[in-house]
Amino acid sequence: MDFDRVYREYVDLIYRFAHRLCGETEAAKDIVQETFLNAYKGLKDFRGESQLSTWLYAIASHACIRMRRKRKGEPDRELSLEEFIPTSDGEFKLQIPIDGLSPEEALQNKELRRILNQAIETLPPQYRMVLVLRDMEGLSAKEVGSIMRLNERAVKSRLHRARLFVRKELSNKGLTATLPKKSNTKQK
Amino acid sequence: MASKVPTQPGTRKPTHPGHGKRHCLKILQKLSLYLDDELSGEVCTEIRAHLGACPNCEIFLDSLRQTITLCRHCQPHTLSSSDRAILRRQILKSAASA
Repeated sequence: MDFDRVYREYVDLIYRFAHRLCGETEAAKDIVQETFLNAYKGLKDFRGESQLSTWLYAIASHACIRMRRKRKGEPDRELSLEEFIPTSDGEFKLQIPIDGLSPEEALQNKELRRILNQAIETLPPQYRMVLVLRDMEGLSAKEVGSIMRLNERAVKSRLHRARLFVRKELSNKGLTATLPKKSNTKQK
Repeated sequence: MASKVPTQPGTRKPTHPGHGKRHCLKILQKLSLYLDDELSGEVCTEIRAHLGACPNCEIFLDSLRQTITLCRHCQPHTLSSSDRAILRRQILKSAASA
């Protein structure tokens, strides 16, 4: 298998993934470099038991974990379902005015993009990785499990907690600016 | 208006009859699986029946769906073509010196 072809085909995917995981441009480039260096060394032994992309995601994930350990960040925090149960009527609704807007329209708002990115970056790493792989990269629970060395049940459990966390963070931050209304919305 | 449920002093009143914390948690646990179409028909029917009777849970489900949709449409960061070339050179240089 030709390294250059692999690099051309997957560098953007791995960079996107790395940036979503670590939230920093230079760190993401470091992860890309480490991933493809390891891929270069291991390509001749790659037997195609998984998809090439899955293999690369796994290498990148482990690179990211190693980077985090070197930085000695805060210890992994477990999320419990109970912390996400609404305790008052106002907490059931997402406190962001995006009803009636497509996600693309809603995400044109810079502040919404900022608080969404912040919410994802604040997720404890073991949950962030599952959310990024499953909901943002679009991998199946089985593929995520093989990358993170988890069974599918554990993947689904972490994913659910990750989504609830992001939901709560979005709601707590709220939005100071009003999002633009749809152009075909009737005005009262 | 929901009828009031008698409670002991110091305990929290549920926001809706049959919507106590334990029942809420039971539904909450399954919402991602429900949204991802990973539950049996029977369980989905049970959840839909609850949602039909509980506006708060229905609102919560909708908010979770919106959150997932936003995450899925989050704009990615991309590499410039010059960065791609620079990284490739660095990788091949490291590989050669290894």
